[in-house]
Amino acid sequence: MTKTSKGANRMTLNRRQIMASGLALGTASLGAGRVLAADGDPIRIGFMSPRTGPLAGFGVTDGYVLDQVRAALKGGLTIGGKTYAVEILDRDTQSDPGLASQLAKDLINNGGIDMMLATSTPEVVNPASDACEAAGVPCLSTVVPWEAWYFGRGAKPGAPSPFKWTYHFSFGVDTFKKTYLSQWAQLETNKKVAVMYPNDADGNAIRAGLAPLLAAGGYTIVDPGPYETGTSDYSTQIAMFRDAGCEIFNTFPIPPDFAAFWQQAAQQGLHKQLKIVQVAKTGLFPGDIEALGSLGANIASADYWHRDFPYPSTATGIKAADLADGYEAATGMQWTQQLGATMALFDAGIEALKAASDPKGKAALAAAYAKLNVVTMVGKVDFTSGPVANVSVAPIIGSQWVKSESGKFTYDTVITENATDPNVPVTHKLLPYNA
Amino acid sequence: MIGQIIQAVLLGGYYALTAAGLTFMLQVMRVINLAHGSLSIAFAYAVYTLAFRYHINPFLGLLMVLPVAAAVGWALQRLLLERAARGGELLPILSTFGLAIVLDNVMFQIFGANAKGLAQFLGDLSFAAYELPGKLYVGKLPVWILAAAVCVLGGLHLMLTRTGLGRRIRATAMDPVTAGLVGVDARQSAAIAAAIAMMMVAMSGVALGFRTVFDAYAGGPQLLFAFEATIIGGARSLWGVFVGAMVLAFAQTGAAMLHPQAFLLGGHVMFLVVLFARLALGQGSLGTRLRQVVRGA
Repeated sequence: MTKTSKGANRMTLNRRQIMASGLALGTASLGAGRVLAADGDPIRIGFMSPRTGPLAGFGVTDGYVLDQVRAALKGGLTIGGKTYAVEILDRDTQSDPGLASQLAKDLINNGGIDMMLATSTPEVVNPASDACEAAGVPCLSTVVPWEAWYFGRGAKPGAPSPFKWTYHFSFGVDTFKKTYLSQWAQLETNKKVAVMYPNDADGNAIRAGLAPLLAAGGYTIVDPGPYETGTSDYSTQIAMFRDAGCEIFNTFPIPPDFAAFWQQAAQQGLHKQLKIVQVAKTGLFPGDIEALGSLGANIASADYWHRDFPYPSTATGIKAADLADGYEAATGMQWTQQLGATMALFDAGIEALKAASDPKGKAALAAAYAKLNVVTMVGKVDFTSGPVANVSVAPIIGSQWVKSESGKFTYDTVITENATDPNVPVTHKLLPYNA
Repeated sequence: MIGQIIQAVLLGGYYALTAAGLTFMLQVMRVINLAHGSLSIAFAYAVYTLAFRYHINPFLGLLMVLPVAAAVGWALQRLLLERAARGGELLPILSTFGLAIVLDNVMFQIFGANAKGLAQFLGDLSFAAYELPGKLYVGKLPVWILAAAVCVLGGLHLMLTRTGLGRRIRATAMDPVTAGLVGVDARQSAAIAAAIAMMMVAMSGVALGFRTVFDAYAGGPQLLFAFEATIIGGARSLWGVFVGAMVLAFAQTGAAMLHPQAFLLGGHVMFLVVLFARLALGQGSLGTRLRQVVRGA
C-alpha cells in the first residue's frame, strides 16, 4: 500500500512540476516578449560564407570569428542613445552559387535581416549581393576582386553605378599589378614571366586585365594560352617556359591543377630556372602549400590580411596577432588570412550601423554605407573615394611561404612588400625560389 | 618534341593503371563500376591517413591497404553486385552509381574540403628526375607508375593465361552458367576477380595521390579517364587497355601541342571517334554493336 501511495504521490508531483514548468515557460516567453518590445526589434545581420565544399578553405575560420563577434556584441549595440540586441544569422553556402542565392532570399524573406554580410569568392558574394540588390537590403561584401563583383554583376565601365543597396571592398587587378611589380623588383631577373591562367572567370579576367599591365611595367609575358581545369599533363607549357628561359612564374589555378603542374615542372627541371614563383588563388592558405611538400618552400603569394597588420578590429577590439594566436589556441590549426578579412567585414558593417540615422531603416543604412570611411582590421574601407561608386579598394600585400621558424607548423607566410598599404610592416626580403 | 612524346608515354602508363581495375571488372563481371573513381580516392585517403597519422611511408601504406582493398572487392561482389544482378542487367550499374555518391559524401564528412596529397610524404622523390642526354628530364615517379602498370597488367595476363585460377576466371567471364556446368565455382571466381580489380583500384588511387592532390569529389574525373581508356582499348584484353590508355594520352598531349586548352578535349574527341567508328563498322543491329563496344565480346 505504501508503495502505491508513494508512486501516486510521485506522479502527482510530476504532474504538478510539469504544470509549473509549463506555466513558468509561458510567463518567461511572455516576459521575453515584453523586454523585446521595450528595447525594439534586435538588429538582424545575415552572414554568408562557404564553410563546406571545394571553397571550404575560405570558410574554415569563420566559426571562430563569429564566436568573437557574438561575444563582443552580447550587450547589444547602442546607436543614437538606443540599445539594440544584435542577432547574427550565419549560413553556409556549401560552395554552391545556386544555394547561396536561395539562402540569401531566405534570409531576406524569412530571416527578417536588416543587413547582409557576405565573403569569399564570386560564387558566394555575387548571388548574395544580387538577391539584396533586388530586395532592397543593404549588403556589404569582401574577398572577391572588385572588378568581378562590379562588372561581373552587369555594371558598365564609364556608366554610373547601377547598384543602390550593395557595397564591396576588396583588391582588384590594379592592386595585383602594384603588388607584383613591387614584389618582383626585389630580385634581379631577366623579366620574362611565364603565366598559367586557366580558362575560368578568374583566369580570363586576369589575362585580359593584369597581363597587359605587367607588360606595360616592363615584363615580357610568355603565355601558352588558357588551359582547362582538370588537365593532367602540362609538358607542352613546361617545355615552352623552359625554352623561353622564364625566370618568373605567375598563376591563378585551383589547388589540384597547381599541384599537378608544379610537380611536373619540378620533374622536368623548370623549378631550377625560376627565381620567383608567384601564385594566387592557390597558396592563400597553409594547407595548399603543405600539400606540396618540400616544393612549397619559398613560393610567393599575396595576402589580403596578415597577423602583422597594424589595425585592431573595431567591432571586437582584438589586435591582429591576438586574433591569429587565439584561433590557433582554440582550434590547434594554423591561422589564415581569412580571419582578418571576415573580421573586417563585421568591423565595417557595424560601423555603418552605428553611423546610420536609423540602423533598422534600410534606406538610412544604405545612405550610411555610401558615406562610410573607416579603418577596419584589413585597413581603410572608404566608399567616398573608390574607383567606382559602391566599391572600396583594399590592399593586398606581397608575401612568401618560408619554412616555419617556430616549428609549430610546416610553413609560415611572411610579408615581403607593402606597396598597396605602407602602414603594414615589411618583415622579410623576398628569397629566390631556386636558391 | 621528344620530351613531349616521353611525357605522353608516361601519362599513358598512369592512365593504364587507372583503367586496369575498371576493365577487369567489366570483363569478368560485365559491370561498369561507376564507383571506380570514388573507391580509388577512398584507398588514397586510407594511405594518406596511414602516412599522416602514423608516419608510414606511402609505399608501405599501399602494401598494407592492398589486402583491405581485396576484402572490399570481395565484399562488393558478394554483397552488392551479385545481389543486384538478380534484379536485371542494369541494377548492378545503378548500385555502383549509388555507392559512388555515398562514398563521396562520407569521405567529405570525414576528410573535409582541403585537398590532400601523398607526394609530401615522399620528400624529394616526388620531383626527382632522371636526366637523359639532350637536356631531357624524366620524372622518377611517372616512370615508376608506368613500370607498375606494365607489371600489373603483365602479371595479370600471365595469371589469366597460365594458371588454373586464371582459366576459371576466364571461363566465368565468357559464360558463368556454362562455367558452372563444367565444375567452376563462378561465384567464387567472380569474387576473386573483384578482389584483384579492387587492388588495382587502390594502386591507381595512390598513383593519383603521387601525381597531384585530391579531395572527396576527385573520383569523377578518374572514372572518366579510366572509362575512355577502356573503351578506346576495346575492353577486350588487358593489353587493349594499355593501348587505349596510350592512345588517350597521345591524343591529349597532341591536342595540347596544338592549343593548351584542347588537352582534355583531345581525349574526349578521340574517345568519341573510336566509339562511333566501332558503332559504324561493327556488325549486326545497333544494339548488338553497342553491346560489342561496351563488352568487347
